[in-house]
Amino acid sequence: MAATRGIDRGRVGADAVGRAFADDLSAFVRVQKEAGLDYFSDGLLKWQDIFRPLTEALGVKPHILVRWFDTNTFFREPELSGRLPGATRPDGVVVDSSVPRPRVTTLPSPYMFSRAAHTDQDRNALMLALAENVLRPAIDVAVAAGSEVIHLEDPWLGYSGIAREDWAPLRDALTILHRDLKATLAFHVYFGDAAPHLDQLQQLPVDAIGVDLVLTDVKSLGSGWNKGLIAGVINGRSSILESPKDLVDVARHLADKVRPRDLYLSSNCELGYLPTPVAEQKVQRLGEAARKVKELVSV
Amino acid sequence: MNQVVDHKPLLTHEVGSLDKPGWRVKAYAGKPLDDKDLEEARTWGERLQVPEYERLLDLLRHAPFSKEQKAELQRWSSLYAVRLEESAGLDVVYDGEQQRTEMYDWAVSHANGFERRGSVRAFDNKYYSKAAVVGSISLGSPFHNAEFSYLVSVAEAELKIPVTGAYTIADWSFDERNRTPEKLLQPAAERSRQRKAARRDFVLEVARNLIRPNLEALIKLGARWIQVDEPGASTEADELDLFVDSFNASVEGLNAMFSTHLCFSDYNLFFPAIERMEHCQQFAVGFANYDSRELGTSDEARPGYHVIKKFRDLPYKPALGLGVLDIHSDFIESPELVRDRVLYAVKVFGDANRIHVTPDCGLRTRSWKVAYEKLRNMTAGVRLARQQLGLPAAE
Repeated sequence: MAATRGIDRGRVGADAVGRAFADDLSAFVRVQKEAGLDYFSDGLLKWQDIFRPLTEALGVKPHILVRWFDTNTFFREPELSGRLPGATRPDGVVVDSSVPRPRVTTLPSPYMFSRAAHTDQDRNALMLALAENVLRPAIDVAVAAGSEVIHLEDPWLGYSGIAREDWAPLRDALTILHRDLKATLAFHVYFGDAAPHLDQLQQLPVDAIGVDLVLTDVKSLGSGWNKGLIAGVINGRSSILESPKDLVDVARHLADKVRPRDLYLSSNCELGYLPTPVAEQKVQRLGEAARKVKELVSV
Repeated sequence: MNQVVDHKPLLTHEVGSLDKPGWRVKAYAGKPLDDKDLEEARTWGERLQVPEYERLLDLLRHAPFSKEQKAELQRWSSLYAVRLEESAGLDVVYDGEQQRTEMYDWAVSHANGFERRGSVRAFDNKYYSKAAVVGSISLGSPFHNAEFSYLVSVAEAELKIPVTGAYTIADWSFDERNRTPEKLLQPAAERSRQRKAARRDFVLEVARNLIRPNLEALIKLGARWIQVDEPGASTEADELDLFVDSFNASVEGLNAMFSTHLCFSDYNLFFPAIERMEHCQQFAVGFANYDSRELGTSDEARPGYHVIKKFRDLPYKPALGLGVLDIHSDFIESPELVRDRVLYAVKVFGDANRIHVTPDCGLRTRSWKVAYEKLRNMTAGVRLARQQLGLPAAE
């Protein structure tokens, strides 16, 4: 933080910023290892917002600053008017090589990307073009570099919803991303109640659906889930630490009643809204809960 | 009863923060100063004709600094900032938060009931600090009195004091009064209801027990215009009534002119909720960030300003502090661009008296050089608009 502020004001050089990022990444990897997580992330520490490495790969200019849903964070609206170019070097999405495997790469979902962008194009056509020309190349680069889970974030669907006629183009866009993919593709809805969308979500061509369980009633998930389930059980908007016992109770309920093909325990949203010390404690709680659940399953 | 301050049409003012000079930041942090810092202090002292600025240079050469010397350096920084704004030609000035750590942190560090938790990213490489409320909220000590007393003694132009609003303080804080985590197996609707009730209590407690007593202290000292900063106001679309209630609870019955600052939002969301904010005599709102840089006064030329019609139609006829400078960019708006934004607003309002002219937000993210050029062009643009409207030139 101090280093990036310093470089913005011409008070430190790029080397100092690089060293600071490396130190922060190393600390975040250590936290994940100590927590015993199964998949490792680089925490997107270098990303100024979820779109930035992709807009940089596209060579397009970030547009105005826009509030990120109901948070006190802001993103640069991607300027995607006119014909969408191809992403020439989507290397910015590749997880740093110091991060242990297996790795998870987080990207914006094509639906959110197309809705958050500034464009004069039809947004569903843009969604398909983003999937083909931007997200798929980025995913291929990430998988080639060792990512085993591609985690698509979609707070737009959770927060603002989706029109009935937009589901088919979303399925088409996700088909482009899922085709012959040698990694797990997850579509994570958050910042909203997923319950009204669950039937459609389960028809999406992805391997797992993520749900924000702070805002979605656990009972709405029903039973006989036909995919993997990313259960957003850690509240990324609250500094109150979760009780591992409560998390275990939820996980057991999901395993027993919802019965997803695979159950992943996760945060309900990104942890960037929390100061680092709080986020680290939450990661530890998540790992502790997952460990207990695994012990119970093995018994 | 709110005090009515009579202002001329197209009044110009800043909105809040300015960057802190390198010499002030380093000196306060106990870091060594170099020739560049001294040169910065000398150059701006000379350019802004700060009286006796050589005394600052002399002080800066005598590090390390005692607590009293650091306080003196803060006052120098305030003086420089006030002179910068006066030199740029603003009608109403402030010191750009030179004596505050930051708009949120300064308030909660003078409040009882909060504990610091750390920083989170706001955008790009900008971060803000967050605290958690852990107990009963009250005013530790009035936290703008010393600043106000000093500024009154040095400002030649009219003074306006920004105060961070209750809703924003609550929104940017964590609520840890009840440390029991939510039980996710409970019905989501019931958990949501409990969250909303706790949130309402929290926001109104900040308004009544922290903001209002601090405003009372300022008014007692003679503050006439207080700007309640609420950059967080539209964060949650379903809480705009709560934002209005918190504003009213903070200022109702106090004798001063109250305005509020809103920024970087879909301003349509504020309507109709702010129809109940009759104690607010001016809304300072950022628009330039959303606007074109082309010249013109047509609707097509001014896409960032269409929503101002809604402010025009508010029943209690507040003034609009029209944001005409994009504070997220080093782009220097030309006087002609400022002029056209102002003329468009006057055309929509049909009354230049209700238009004040401001940056979109505080200029803290810009260097002083950029901020100064932007502000000078802003006042130059207002002069052009005055000419075109046949208004008397500013004094």
